[in-house]
Amino acid sequence: MSDFEFKGVVRFTRIGTIYLITTLILAISAINTGNNALYIGVSLMLGSLLLSGLASKGGLKHLHAGVGALDDVWAGRPVRATLTLRNDSRLWNVRDVVLTSEALAEPVLIPVVPRRQSITIEATFLFRKRGLAHVNAIDSYTRYPFGFFLKKRRLRLTGEVVVYPRLLADATTDRFRATHGEQTTANRPGISSEIHSFREYSRGDSLRHVHWKKSASLGRWIMKQTDAESAKSVHVVVDPYLPKGASEESFDEMVSEATTFVYHAARDGFDVTMSLPRATYRTREGEAASPLFRALALIEPAFEPVHQVVERNTALFTMGGRRDAKSA
Amino acid sequence: MLLLAMFAAVPLYFTFAISTGALILFHVVLSLIVLRVAFGRTPELVPARLMRWVAMFYVLFYVVDAAVLSRSAIAASTHLVLFIAVYQPIESVHRQNHAQRLLTTALIFIASIATSTHITIVLFVLVFAFFVFRQLMHVSHEETVRSIGHGYGEAPVGRAAVFYLAGATVIGALLFPLLPRLRNPVIRGFMGPLAGSSTSLRETINFNEGRATVGDATVVARVWMDRETRDTFTPLRLRGMIYDTYEGGEWRQTFRGLRAVNQDGTTFVVGRATGVGSPAIVEMRAQRGKVYLPSATFAISGLSTLYEGPARETYYTYDDGPLTIAVRMSSDTEPTRLARAKMSGYPISPAVETLARTIVGTEQRPEKKAELIERYLVTNFRYVPNDQAAPAMSLERFLLVERGGHCEYFAAGMVALLNAVGVPARIAGGFYGGQLNPLTGYYAVRREDAHAWTEVWTGARWMTFDSTPPSLRPGAAPENAVRFYLAAVGDSLTFFWDRYVLTFGLGDQISLFEDLAMLASTAMESMSERLRADVRTVGAGGFGKFLVLVVAAGVVLILLQRRRRRLFDVLAAYLAAQGISVGPAMTMEEALRALREEHPEAAEELEPLIAMYEQETFGGRPDRARARAIKRKLAELRT
Repeated sequence: MSDFEFKGVVRFTRIGTIYLITTLILAISAINTGNNALYIGVSLMLGSLLLSGLASKGGLKHLHAGVGALDDVWAGRPVRATLTLRNDSRLWNVRDVVLTSEALAEPVLIPVVPRRQSITIEATFLFRKRGLAHVNAIDSYTRYPFGFFLKKRRLRLTGEVVVYPRLLADATTDRFRATHGEQTTANRPGISSEIHSFREYSRGDSLRHVHWKKSASLGRWIMKQTDAESAKSVHVVVDPYLPKGASEESFDEMVSEATTFVYHAARDGFDVTMSLPRATYRTREGEAASPLFRALALIEPAFEPVHQVVERNTALFTMGGRRDAKSA
Repeated sequence: MLLLAMFAAVPLYFTFAISTGALILFHVVLSLIVLRVAFGRTPELVPARLMRWVAMFYVLFYVVDAAVLSRSAIAASTHLVLFIAVYQPIESVHRQNHAQRLLTTALIFIASIATSTHITIVLFVLVFAFFVFRQLMHVSHEETVRSIGHGYGEAPVGRAAVFYLAGATVIGALLFPLLPRLRNPVIRGFMGPLAGSSTSLRETINFNEGRATVGDATVVARVWMDRETRDTFTPLRLRGMIYDTYEGGEWRQTFRGLRAVNQDGTTFVVGRATGVGSPAIVEMRAQRGKVYLPSATFAISGLSTLYEGPARETYYTYDDGPLTIAVRMSSDTEPTRLARAKMSGYPISPAVETLARTIVGTEQRPEKKAELIERYLVTNFRYVPNDQAAPAMSLERFLLVERGGHCEYFAAGMVALLNAVGVPARIAGGFYGGQLNPLTGYYAVRREDAHAWTEVWTGARWMTFDSTPPSLRPGAAPENAVRFYLAAVGDSLTFFWDRYVLTFGLGDQISLFEDLAMLASTAMESMSERLRADVRTVGAGGFGKFLVLVVAAGVVLILLQRRRRRLFDVLAAYLAAQGISVGPAMTMEEALRALREEHPEAAEELEPLIAMYEQETFGGRPDRARARAIKRKLAELRT
């Protein structure tokens, strides 16, 4: 990558420097001797140098880039997406274009973009942090045609993508066994119509299950959850409070833990209800959990404690790590 | 790359800049390396370690080569470059040296073209450039692939190389006349096209020595004449030698040293015209200072120096390089200074005298006597081309026995016969005829057109007579039309190459700029004239209104342009005023970061504007009010 790190928009390559020195020597010889055969050589060499600059500038100048839709993008995980390059030049074909960007997992080499044509390729993107990522620019580089210059141009893009939090590796998932199979029974409600627990209202809930008394006391709707409902469901509460002295990295780590928990629960067929300070998200068996991941991707740390309802068997994620309500 | 280096050295065979042996050795060694590579082996023809020792030894050898073997630093340096070109592919086994090898190839190329003056070098340069472009594209591609760590198939470069070669040639051709021609006054460049070496003409004519002239098509002069001049003064005679004395068994010129020629302003006057003057332009290179001028020339301009001498009525200049001389000729040209003409001093034998008297009979006038003798020789003698194998023949034998020989015999024989009847005469040497090039309109006079004729003193002036049979004079041989046309095309190309490429100099450059300036001035004048006419048409009152309208439209356009100025540029201009240069590859966020380091307060003020700008640019919903707000706020910040 060091080849592509330089200030400005153009850099002389080694061959370019040698070529320039040779041209200079030849020019001095021509002027010194008045030998027009040498002048022919100098003219041609200068012509090539000029043409090389024009070609690389003219080619990159008319290049436009666009990124296809990026779905289910996880922090730290490469994702394939289409990258379209359009060459609006009427004259220049662009060859050997290298694309680099913070969003790209590795530099992409485009063999050729013919004039007045566009090409679409698959590229691997990699976002390191969760949140709303702007893909505003991709740097394009080319040595074409003669390799005298390494020319750079930033291609503007208008793309933004929600990057889900990083999923933790298998070794760390032991902490989330609570949702797995029979081991969950200890903390899981039984199958009956009795009230098992309470939770925040989420869109799609029937008003018949509102616990009016609790709702009135708390000032927001609280839903009753029966044993039958809770048999294969899990309630997750993410507390965004970032205590003084705690780092944002540890906050992200906590969000990653919550995300990993939700990811595994949803994968294993649980209905997941996730409560955040101002919203509750719910996914049922077979539904995509993307709204939950999206919410986790965009969650910001709060610098004041936030009150949240934490009932029995709720998985609470706070800066202290995950705690079941029972033990909380 | 190996083949390219071999190709770059090919012209050296023709320029003789270095010995052919060294060149053959270079090509053989490189061919062996090429063969090794073609058979999938390394280019290590000689073990690299040993080659390194050889290279060290070569440093010493270079001095010996320059001082003893080649006796030329240029030749020794060329040998050194060739050696490096052999060393580098062997070295490449252990070290990537593409760039250095390219440089070495370029140096061989420079050595090749620097010593070439022939037009075919253009073809070589183009072919070489094509291969170099291909190679450069290949290397560029490899560098790109290396930089990202993975590759793909070879990029197609053949067609692209042709495209770029065409482009570079066009740009090169445009640049060529514009590059400064400021020649170093100490080290002179290579000479041009017109023959600078001796012609087949010699300082003396000695019939006791055999001589031969071979066909040499090198152009010694080009002469432009208009149609009227052509009618009067062709066949053309360019005179440079006057053999007026017979002494010591040979015909000699009378050397008197250099004498100043009368000048009228910048024109040198070498004769007195009694008739109307006709112009001609002669382009030539002075041959060891000697200028060959058309017979009957009486005025010369275009030279900064001109002397009569060293022989009588021949001319000498110190001007260097290709000369473009404007001459005026008259059919009746008399010398500026009347000098008594004398006899040549040729010992006339009674037999020759008898022959002469027989020819002239009772005729008394010198020009009539000359006419009779000329007619006699033309009709009764035959032309024998110069032949080295033929034995030397005396003039006496030519006149009385053989009655045949080459042009110098005819000219000298006529002088001897005229002297025998009391008429002063002399042999004139120079070039005769030349070939009219129908494509360019000039007469190309070549070395093979060298000729001798006779000048006869009539009492007031020298008259030209030529006793060599006309059909046997230079250039008289019938020529195939196709061949003639091809020769004309070839000569036109050579002329173009000589005139506009090889000898293109500072003077031409100044003329070119003058012409361009003149062209621009004429165009401006014509435009201005047209505009004035238009103004007159529109009428004074109407035009005033029209002018106001144009100015108003211009102001509106400028305002619109200012309004349309991109937000990025407006922000970049503000940042530039703060000392932050925003390049085209820089985002506003990066610029803001840079500003924060330099002026944190200014950055704080600018930050919301940058946020608005990003929202405006990348938000997908452009809002003109927002853009206006950004510009207004920026204007406030500026104040």
